Amino acid sequence: MRLASTMLLISVTAVYLFLLLPIAIVVLASFNAAEYLSFPLAGLSFRWYAAFISSPSFTSAFLVSIAVGLAAAAAATVIGTPAAIFYVRFLHRHREEFRLAMLAPMLLPEVLTAIALLFFFNQVLIGTQTLLPLILGHIVITLPFVFLTVSSALYNLPATVEEAARTLGASAWKAFRRVTFPLIKSGIITGAMLAFIMSFDNVNVSLLLKAVGTSTLPIQLFDYLRYDFDPTAAAASTISVALTMLIVFAIDRIYGLRAVRF
Amino acid sequence: MTEASEIRVRHWLLAAPALSLIGLFLLIPYINIGIMSFRTPSTTAPYGPGYTVANYVHILSDSLYLSLLAETLLFATVTTAVCLLMAFPVAFHLARTTSRWRGLLYAGVLSPLLTGVVIRCFGWIVLLANNGLVNQALGTVGLGPFQLMYNATGVTIALVHVFLPFMILPLMTAIQSIDPHWEEAARTLGASRTRVFQRIMLPLILPGLQSGVILVFVLAASAYVIPMLLGGGRVQTLPTVIFQQLMGGLLWPFGAALALTLSFAVLASIWAFVFLGRKRMRGLA
Amino acid sequence: MSRLSIQALTKCYAGAAAVANIDLDVAEGEFVSLLGPSGCGKTTTLRCVAGLETPTSGKVLFGDRDVTRVPPERRRIGMVFQNYALFPHMTIRENIGFGLEMRGVRGSEANKRISSVLDMVQLTGFEDRWPRQLSGGQQQRVALARALIVEPAVLLLDEPLANLDAKLRDEMRFFIRALQQRIGITTLYVTHDQAESMALSDRIVVMFAGRIHQTGTPQHIYDRPATKQVAKFIGQANLIAGKVVHRCNEVATVDTSVGRLLCATNCAVEPGTPATAMVRPEAMQLVKECSPNAFPGRIMERHFLGNIVDYRVATADGTVLAIQALGSIVHDAGEVVSVQIDPKKAWLLE
Repeated sequence: MRLASTMLLISVTAVYLFLLLPIAIVVLASFNAAEYLSFPLAGLSFRWYAAFISSPSFTSAFLVSIAVGLAAAAAATVIGTPAAIFYVRFLHRHREEFRLAMLAPMLLPEVLTAIALLFFFNQVLIGTQTLLPLILGHIVITLPFVFLTVSSALYNLPATVEEAARTLGASAWKAFRRVTFPLIKSGIITGAMLAFIMSFDNVNVSLLLKAVGTSTLPIQLFDYLRYDFDPTAAAASTISVALTMLIVFAIDRIYGLRAVRF
Repeated sequence: MTEASEIRVRHWLLAAPALSLIGLFLLIPYINIGIMSFRTPSTTAPYGPGYTVANYVHILSDSLYLSLLAETLLFATVTTAVCLLMAFPVAFHLARTTSRWRGLLYAGVLSPLLTGVVIRCFGWIVLLANNGLVNQALGTVGLGPFQLMYNATGVTIALVHVFLPFMILPLMTAIQSIDPHWEEAARTLGASRTRVFQRIMLPLILPGLQSGVILVFVLAASAYVIPMLLGGGRVQTLPTVIFQQLMGGLLWPFGAALALTLSFAVLASIWAFVFLGRKRMRGLA
Repeated sequence: MSRLSIQALTKCYAGAAAVANIDLDVAEGEFVSLLGPSGCGKTTTLRCVAGLETPTSGKVLFGDRDVTRVPPERRRIGMVFQNYALFPHMTIRENIGFGLEMRGVRGSEANKRISSVLDMVQLTGFEDRWPRQLSGGQQQRVALARALIVEPAVLLLDEPLANLDAKLRDEMRFFIRALQQRIGITTLYVTHDQAESMALSDRIVVMFAGRIHQTGTPQHIYDRPATKQVAKFIGQANLIAGKVVHRCNEVATVDTSVGRLLCATNCAVEPGTPATAMVRPEAMQLVKECSPNAFPGRIMERHFLGNIVDYRVATADGTVLAIQALGSIVHDAGEVVSVQIDPKKAWLLE
């Protein structure tokens, strides 16, 4: 018994190391004074962060990612929240089909979706000259996350709370505004933040739908890693990870990570 | 319009934007890609006039593409198997532990998912390169250097790493749903710990396990960024070839046919897997 | 079938004792309940007997066999859980046959025994159904069948009726008792429901905060509770504080705020010691005239319950007594009456 539980602990630790080591390595490399990572570290330095800030391609890619993320998250939230409300409160037939439709972008391979959208946008004359196809693609991809999170928040809110408000004289809209909405607000915000993260990190869709001449941060990193190799990419990655972790921390504070399910 | 149906329409309006989005930007493009795969390829434009099945014929009769397909499915299978092995201890621990670090441990599994694929591959490149950290460490004890990147090994390691959380989470949920009283009842009936695992835990985990396997298999079979980064052009899978086709040249109908062939192959594999396992799944809703 | 012996059993969690120094002997074929409020340690004790918990110290013996360190699967017990714990992925046949399977009994031999035990719990023909198709009461009977088919040495039940509705609980109560007596299996039963334990048990063990307060037959515990807590937990009790004035053999005279009372006792109490007189509601009578061991009171409330009447009577000093009387003679609220206490039914507590 002792042996079994010690072995379990060892294997669990090994797997966690496997999961987290690569990310930790990147963060470490971004502070490395030398160009190649070696142990012991050659020294600590911020030079790669300086390089990142002074690199127009990286900084513009970073800003594009933020902008696209914000736009996609906002749109996905505005579209997904009412859909979730509809699903949880008002839909009584064909529930499974509706749910499947809402989750389809998550269930279908991203690559296929990206290709389908690439063809579609080029044939429908929008083309990939602007950021619009990219943003639309990201909205589609991130919609399921908003839907899932808001649905889960609504499930945790019993309908009787709204019903109580109605018996006290509130109209459906008032009941939603004064009772339901404040109570699911944290769920909505969490969904929006998740959508932002998914958009910010996205590569599969972005690579195919990006406009000529623009780049998102993951794409920029991708190009860098294929042809170049210097720790500026590590600095860019670390900033990206820091941003993501900050948002995850905020989600945990506001809503609780346990509620995040796929 | 009666008041009841008026209310119903208002309710559907809530879902209208989402349904339109899915319909317009998912359903139609997917139908379109299907149609595209039957168009005639062209080198001067995305596609030429008319429709044909030549794309599929070409793919299914060319050993190059068939072997690419087989390799892609092999990668996916190996990745899934390794993920399954590695996910078990963690899923178990997470589902059963009562330590106060539980939240942190859960975050530890979730956080990699929220970090970009590219960044995670970056970490592996630093680790697995010829003068990377792993080879450096092995060098201090006089081993190596081993070729850990730009080959199937590196690609598989990265695939396993990226998709492991997708195996851990459904497995963890499945284990959590097992009532400890079932295990205790089995023990009072004379089952040893091994038998309890075999006869009670394993069968009850099966649905969650199946979800995890399907999820990871699909993801691994569709991956193109990871093989491109860790394979450096020397490892080709069907998705990477498709990507190159679409970005490099035109011939969109051919690319579409390749993509759909891969999808069908993946779906068929999953169907076979579920079909073979259905006897073990009986009684489990 | 065997005797069950628990010796000096102690179980600690994080420094605090959930169960402290429990001693109990259950004779072969006897039905003993562990009774007490939530958290009193009764379930912990049961789980130690089952082997699902390891005691911090003490011993568990089945007959002459020390099973303290033996894992549950080798103890030959049968256990029924509160939520039935039927294996959801197995049919009723497979559930019940599981214990047989672990002992290498399969095929037609197993099927025969499964059918006969299903007959015993009145679920003939249910072999091929699934647990989720059965009602709560049916599931509980399957759980019983599953535990009994392996002919265990001891049968353990952990609040098996708690999840059933009231009417079903009553039915199952009789069923379990009848079954147990027919088979004659040594049984340990955990419950927080005192009426249930009194109806089912040969003996009751009353526990509070990890310790046994009293062990005895239902009658004995009801009439002669050992402590105030036991008195209050079993049935209703009126507790009147006072001081012992005189004791002669089994009768003590106690000076209380409502008057001088005669109580039964089996302790050698000295005059002058403070004590409490416990009187059950039905041990008092409302009479018109004064007599020894009676004192005046006024009826504050009256609840007519059909066969009995519940009274709340306030005595001269303000003590409110709960009194139950037959419904034939009914007194009204506001009436002044004389409360007569049967000295044989008044019990002295420390």
